[in-house]
Amino acid sequence: MELICIGLSHRTAPLAVRERLALSESRQLEVVQRLAHAPVEALWVSTCNRVEVYLSAPDAALARQRVVAELQSLGGPEALDHLYEHRGENALVHLFRVAGSLDSMVLGEAQILGQVKDAFERGQGAGAVRGELTRACAAAFSCAKRVRTETAIGRASTSMAAAAVQLASKVFDGLGGKTVLVVGAGEMGELAARHLKGAGATKLFITNRTLARAEALAVEVGGTARPFEELFALLAAADVVVCSTASPVPIFTKENVGAVGRARRGRPLFMVDLAVPRDIDPAVGQLDWVHAYDVDDIQKFVADNAAARAEEAQKAGVLVAQEVARFVKERALREGTPVLARLRQRAEAIGRAEVERTLSALGDGLNDKQRKSIEAMGRAIVNKLLHEPTSRLRAVGPEGEGNRLAGAAAELFGLLEGEEPADAAAPASLPTAQAAATGAK
Amino acid sequence: MSHTLVSLACHAYGIAAVVYLAYLVRQKEVLATIGRVLVGGGLALHGVALFELLGVQEGRPVGLAQGFSALAFLLLAIFLALDVRYKRPVIGAFLTPLAVTVLIPGLLLHGGQSPLPPGVRQPLLPLHITLALLGLAAFAVAAGVGVMYILMERQVKAKRFGLLFSRLPSLEFLDTLNRRLVVWGFIALSVTLATGAFFVTSTPELGWHWDGKSIATVVAWGVFAALVNARIFAGWRGRRVALLTMAGFCLVLVSFLSSYDLAAPTAAAMRLP
Repeated sequence: MELICIGLSHRTAPLAVRERLALSESRQLEVVQRLAHAPVEALWVSTCNRVEVYLSAPDAALARQRVVAELQSLGGPEALDHLYEHRGENALVHLFRVAGSLDSMVLGEAQILGQVKDAFERGQGAGAVRGELTRACAAAFSCAKRVRTETAIGRASTSMAAAAVQLASKVFDGLGGKTVLVVGAGEMGELAARHLKGAGATKLFITNRTLARAEALAVEVGGTARPFEELFALLAAADVVVCSTASPVPIFTKENVGAVGRARRGRPLFMVDLAVPRDIDPAVGQLDWVHAYDVDDIQKFVADNAAARAEEAQKAGVLVAQEVARFVKERALREGTPVLARLRQRAEAIGRAEVERTLSALGDGLNDKQRKSIEAMGRAIVNKLLHEPTSRLRAVGPEGEGNRLAGAAAELFGLLEGEEPADAAAPASLPTAQAAATGAK
Repeated sequence: MSHTLVSLACHAYGIAAVVYLAYLVRQKEVLATIGRVLVGGGLALHGVALFELLGVQEGRPVGLAQGFSALAFLLLAIFLALDVRYKRPVIGAFLTPLAVTVLIPGLLLHGGQSPLPPGVRQPLLPLHITLALLGLAAFAVAAGVGVMYILMERQVKAKRFGLLFSRLPSLEFLDTLNRRLVVWGFIALSVTLATGAFFVTSTPELGWHWDGKSIATVVAWGVFAALVNARIFAGWRGRRVALLTMAGFCLVLVSFLSSYDLAAPTAAAMRLP
């Protein structure tokens, strides 16, 4: 089975191409199910900055062909000009970097991990992500956690929402006394609302097609929820608008935004579009009093700050390399000897060694029956200790949860370092065995 | 004596201009402090020189040279007040070079004592001239701020996140500052016009005639009156207002220059309305 990643991102494709491939969740599932016929696995990761398909397939060339055809039919032939492809260990490194936010538009931003996790869960739910991709994603998530906790990459205010607030400060002299409108109460909307409130926005209105979500967010961040029908009345009052809805067509056009111009009496309006496909038509920015920014503009803005975080990104890169190497080693071991067999082998070797030591410490004073009893006791202890883990691992099977448990067992019992001879493990237990033997005397 | 002091002040302003330009690039707070001290020191020297000069000239600057010198002094005094009040030293990068440009003719030209018609030797004359210069300085600063606004707006609109984008104050700040300066300048200009009109009506030998100065001043007053009204009642702001401020400033500058006999700057005879 080979791991492949095919996709396009803010680094390779303009927003106009990316937004054609920004599918709704249900369509993503349809595509993934078409691609993931057993034994092929497929994971569709779609954020506002990237659309990537990860595949684990026995025939990489065939799987690649099918993905490319799918991307072409969705994004048009132009999409193919912007594709990149990673295979094998490079695909793993890419997945780890994406999850760790090292490939993000805003380096170190926190949202991407949640977005990849959501994609993973959807894939699992649809049965498209099973064995190899499950293990790869689990390792990528734990690597991302290390990146966040062991480097300072996420500590600076580096999210898209934070960048939007910084941009607003170039139009307005602080957000105190300003009216802010957040359109869309999803994850991005929530982050934007929190940042804007934190930056001192006096009035914060949140609107969403489902009012209940807007209300929940408003309670959480201290804003006011308003029905979506009031959108343009709210626009007339707003100084800053941040949109992040899943609407497939722009909500704000030059005409409908221009229509509130008279009521605003020339008051400037700062609009940030964090959605892909865009919520704000690019022509809106032509209005004299509107300053409209989309995700690509924000990328351009934060690119300048990237240098400041380069050092942390370097540290994070080292972590990624470590984690990938570890994953590759684990996989090699896993594919070589199953964890259960290795665990039993190790435990039996330890049991045998300890029984031998005990018997030799007791010397010739034992008869055959006593010797056999001690040997039986050693085997019984090993069997009883291994019974529960063995039956549990067998019950969950080789994929999904089974994988996780097997990985944990391999980690706990030190099975990842290769097969150690029984006497290599013995010295650690020697003092105890000797003490027991002495006590027995 | 006063010429030496003004020359020293001009050097201080010149160094301050370089320091503020360096601040624009480096953003080191210490540069802003040095710039502030240099401008403050220069203003002290310049102030002493002007005080000494005006003391012997019935409280009024005489000739183009002194006019420029007083204008540069007021311009920098306004800048320093703004810098202390708003802590935006970056404005200095635009205003200190402007002030030095204004002051240099003040140093190079030698102003002579102009004979004044006896009728206009009135106690209100120093007030008239001071307010005229103060208004002009306020409009100069407002125009400088307007230039900054237009530069910043171009960066924001074109999404060019370069040096100016990161260094210039927000559009809202620049627009608000422009509004305040224009309002103060407009008040000063109105009082100048009123006192000027008073001189004309109370001094029959002067007589009112529509020369370049009168026309430029009245048109400038009209522009600023329209601007202040449009801001208050029609919500005008932004680029349109910044451009109008610059146009108004040019008119006031024409009016200022028409107050002097430019053909004979060394004689620098002053023509009153």
